[in-house]
Amino acid sequence: MPKEDPETTALKKELTDLISKVKADQEKLADAKLAEKCSDLGDVPKIRFVTKKTLKGHLNKVNSVHYSGDSRHCVTGSLDGKLIIWDTWSGNKVQIIPLRSAWVMSVAFAPSGNFVACGGMDNMCTVYDVNNRDATGAAKMVRELAGYEGFLSSCRFLDDTHILTGSGDMKICVWDLEAGKREMEFDAHAGDVVSISLSPDMKSYVTGSVDKTCKLWDVRDEKAKQTFFGHEADVNSVCYHNGGYAFATASEDKTARLFDIRSDQQLGHYTPPGASGFTSCALSLSGRYLMAGSDDNSVHSWDTLKVSHTGTLNGHENRVTSISVAPNGVAMASCSWDSSVRVWG
Amino acid sequence: MDMMVSTLQQQRAVTEQLRREAAIKRIPVSVAVSDIIKYINEHEQEDCLLVGFSSQKVNPFREKSSCTVL
Repeated sequence: MPKEDPETTALKKELTDLISKVKADQEKLADAKLAEKCSDLGDVPKIRFVTKKTLKGHLNKVNSVHYSGDSRHCVTGSLDGKLIIWDTWSGNKVQIIPLRSAWVMSVAFAPSGNFVACGGMDNMCTVYDVNNRDATGAAKMVRELAGYEGFLSSCRFLDDTHILTGSGDMKICVWDLEAGKREMEFDAHAGDVVSISLSPDMKSYVTGSVDKTCKLWDVRDEKAKQTFFGHEADVNSVCYHNGGYAFATASEDKTARLFDIRSDQQLGHYTPPGASGFTSCALSLSGRYLMAGSDDNSVHSWDTLKVSHTGTLNGHENRVTSISVAPNGVAMASCSWDSSVRVWG
Repeated sequence: MDMMVSTLQQQRAVTEQLRREAAIKRIPVSVAVSDIIKYINEHEQEDCLLVGFSSQKVNPFREKSSCTVL
């Protein structure tokens, strides 16, 4: 075996020293524990979420749900090869969009409500115009974004003209939808990027990956600002807190966590009774509730501050794959392998 | 931490990235938690999943009996 060259050895040593230094710096600042600091706060009110609407229509597993900026409509994608746009207040289907590929894993609704996007094992991200129909009467396909070397795992609209994507080839891309061109493409993680969450001011985002880490990014940069360690298996979902300083995560390691950006470390560690992997997570409007969708068919909820399990939402008959809280906080939508979508409040 | 790199170039990139990340300014956890508590307290009353609906008028899921303006 060839001898390692001196520069590589030096770099590896520096890396190890840096890792130790970061850990030490973080520990120096860990002057409080989340639950202890919140111990004198009032308990959360005894509110029980109930299913306000059950949205039936998909014929196969539903893999992803995302609310529109209007807090009323949401889009879901299913292995039945369709996107459905729902009016969650009435339970009615507003549009059914047939897809070229049934292998959809992720959907996104533009905050404006004008576009939806989806992608999956077709290694593409396809964007549809909600307000314009094509000759068949379905929403007009406006862009097919190709060139990925892995499945499309997550996508989020920055606005009506730009979309951010994470994929199984470990990359992040930003596309200019008007030009149909990639503006940015870079290696992001050491494993599939599986989830993206935008900050409230839309200037940053966090990503979760099968490499067990989460990273914080500025939308203009190709290098991460911070990396968050802690999870012991794939991070399946990330969700920014509306205050802009923290984010929740959910993982295959059967925990949900809360990470703080400015102190650069984990604050909360949430486990349910029983133990199943989590597929998705979301925070209520204020952030007081943390919810996570589980392989055990339920959605678990915790008091984010007191780090206590506050309830289990039962109803789905198979794995919960994705959850989304309405931007105005009025409800939470969940979707499942049982082919249904539920709206909770 | 998994830092698998195979070439010198990759080793340089990973080390440079960690140099950047290690150098950020951090705040104490106590301050971070205080700010989170403050945000949550300020927005608790608007958080319908927490406090419910103040009146049936604002509940978008209520059964509507008469005409509504769309």
